[in-house]
Amino acid sequence: MDRIGFIGLGIMGGPMAKNLLKVGYSLTVLDINPQSVDELVKAGATSAEDPCDVARESDIVITMLPDSPDVEKVVLGEEGVIQGIKEGALFIDMSTIAPAMSIKIYEALQDKNVQSLDAPVSGGYMGAENGTLSIMIGGDRTAFDRAFPVFQTLGKNIVYMGETGAGQVTKTCNQIIVGVTLQAVSEALTLAKAAEVDLNKVRQALLGGFAQSKVLDHQGERIIEGNFEPGFKLKLHRKDLNISLETGKEQQVPLPCTAIVAQLMDAGMAQGFGESDHTTITKIFKSTDRA
Amino acid sequence: MEKIGFIGLGIMGNPMSKNLINAGYSLTVYDINKESVSDVVKAGATAAKTCKEVAEQSEVVITMVPDSPEVEEVVYGEQGVLEGVKSGMLFIDMSTIAPATSQKVYQSLQEKGVEALDAPVSGGQVGAEAGTLSIMVGGSDAAFKRALPILEVMGKNIVHIGDAGAGQVTKACNQVVVGMTIQAVAEALTLAKKSGVNVEKVREALLGGFAQSRILDLHGQRVIDRNFEPGFKVKLHRKDMNIALQTGRDLSVPLHGSAIVAAQMDALLAQGDGELDHSALVLLLEQMANVAEK
Repeated sequence: MDRIGFIGLGIMGGPMAKNLLKVGYSLTVLDINPQSVDELVKAGATSAEDPCDVARESDIVITMLPDSPDVEKVVLGEEGVIQGIKEGALFIDMSTIAPAMSIKIYEALQDKNVQSLDAPVSGGYMGAENGTLSIMIGGDRTAFDRAFPVFQTLGKNIVYMGETGAGQVTKTCNQIIVGVTLQAVSEALTLAKAAEVDLNKVRQALLGGFAQSKVLDHQGERIIEGNFEPGFKLKLHRKDLNISLETGKEQQVPLPCTAIVAQLMDAGMAQGFGESDHTTITKIFKSTDRA
Repeated sequence: MEKIGFIGLGIMGNPMSKNLINAGYSLTVYDINKESVSDVVKAGATAAKTCKEVAEQSEVVITMVPDSPEVEEVVYGEQGVLEGVKSGMLFIDMSTIAPATSQKVYQSLQEKGVEALDAPVSGGQVGAEAGTLSIMVGGSDAAFKRALPILEVMGKNIVHIGDAGAGQVTKACNQVVVGMTIQAVAEALTLAKKSGVNVEKVREALLGGFAQSRILDLHGQRVIDRNFEPGFKVKLHRKDMNIALQTGRDLSVPLHGSAIVAAQMDALLAQGDGELDHSALVLLLEQMANVAEK
C-alpha cells in the first residue's frame, strides 16, 4: 500500500484522513492547528514538521486546504512539498482552488517527474465523514488510475474530467450553478412573500415543473423555514465564486449573473452572515423580509 | 354541464378549447384571427362576434390571450366581457399576465357578482394538446371548486395557491427561477467550453450533485446538441420576465438576477433571435465571450 501524506486536517480533511487510516493506509499528517494533528495521531497517523517533511515520507501527497494561496504556499513555498517529494511520487490537491493555480503546480511538479491531479470535491462535511464525496478530477489518465483506490476510499461519484485543471473548472461550474440558482430561488420566494402568497405552495407548484432543482427543493425549504445553520457557509461559497470570476476574467468569459450573486454575497458578509448557510443571501434586504 | 365561452384561440387556446369540446362542453368562441375561429367551429364550437356576446352566451368565460393589455381589452374594452356578464357567472383567465391586472379584473367582476380566477399554465403547446398543463390558480375556494372539473380537462397538476393574483405570482416566480437557471447553466457551460473542458462530461458530473436541475438536464442537453428550436420562445419568456420585474417594482422587491436575465434576453431580441428557444441565452454568452463554435 502506498504511504500517504495528508496536509490540511480541517472540517473536510480531518474525516477524509481518518477514512484513509481506517482502510489501512499509513499516514503522515500536517496542519497549522495542533489539536487537529493530535486527533489524527491518536487515530494512528504520524505527524510531520513541515510540508517538505510530509513529502519525504510519502508516495502520495494529498492537500485539502482553504484556497489557492494556501496550496501555493504548501507546495511551492519554503519547506514546501516540492522540496521533499520523490521522483515518481503522486500529488493530489483536493482543495477547491483556481484552475490556473492547479496548472501552475502541475507544471512545477512535472519538472520534478512528479505526477499531479486536481481533485476538488463536493458533498460537504457529511460526504467527507461517510466517504461519499463527489470527486471531479483533472490530470493525466495514468495518474488518475493510480489514485483511483484512494478516491474510492474518500468518495462515491468519481469522475475523470480531462486534463489538468479540468477538475477545478468543473467544480467552479458547479458553484456558479448552485449560486445563481440559489439567487433565483431567493428572488422568487421574496417576491411571493411580498405578494403574501403561501411560500410552501409556491415551492411545491414549482417543483412539479421546469423550475425544479435540488436547490429549490433543499435550500428553498431552508429559506421558508428560516433555517440558516450551515450547511455550506456563505463565506466559502463567496470564495468559490471568486474562483469562477477570476477564471472568467482569465478566459474572457463574461459571467453577469455570477458577478451579481458574488456582490450580493459581499453584502451578506458585510452584514455578518459569513458563517451562516449560503441561503442567508435571501436576508440581505431586510425591508423585504416581511415574515 | 356548464356552457363555456373561450376567448383567445392561439397556439395554446386552440388545443385547450378543443379538449373542452371533446369532453362534451358546448363552447362559444372568439378570436381576432378568423381562421383560428373557423378551425374551432369546425370542431363543434359556436362563433361569437364580440367578447360581450361570448359572455352573454356562457356561464363560464375562459380567456387565453398574450399579455395584460389584451386581457384588459377583452374585459374592459368596447363590447367587452364586462358588458355581457351576469351575476353568478365564473371568469377564468388562463393567460400569463401581471398579478396586479388579475386583481383589478377580479375587483371589477366582483362588483358585478361574478367570481374570477387567475389560472396561468405551464407546460407549453405539448401540454395544451395532451391536456397535461400545470395550472396555478388564484381566487376563492368556491370558485376554484366550481372550476376544477373544467381545469381537469386541460391540465393535470392543478394547484390552488391562494387569493386572487396568487396564481400569477406563482407563475412569475416560476419564470424567474427558470430564466435564471438557464442563465446559470449558460454561464457555467460557456466557461467550461472556453476553458477547453468537455461540456458533456461537465453536465453529467453536475447532474449528480447539488447543481442538479431540470434545466441543466434538458436545456443543458439542448446546448450540447445545438438545438435552439422552440420549445419556449425567448420573446415570450422576455414578456414574462417583464411581469416579474413589474411586480417587483410594485412591491419594492429588488430582483437583481432577473433584471440581468431580462437584459440578456433584450440583446437576443435586438439581434433577431426572439423566435429561438430560451436556451439561446447561451448563444448570446458565447458571442460575448467570442467562443469558437466547434
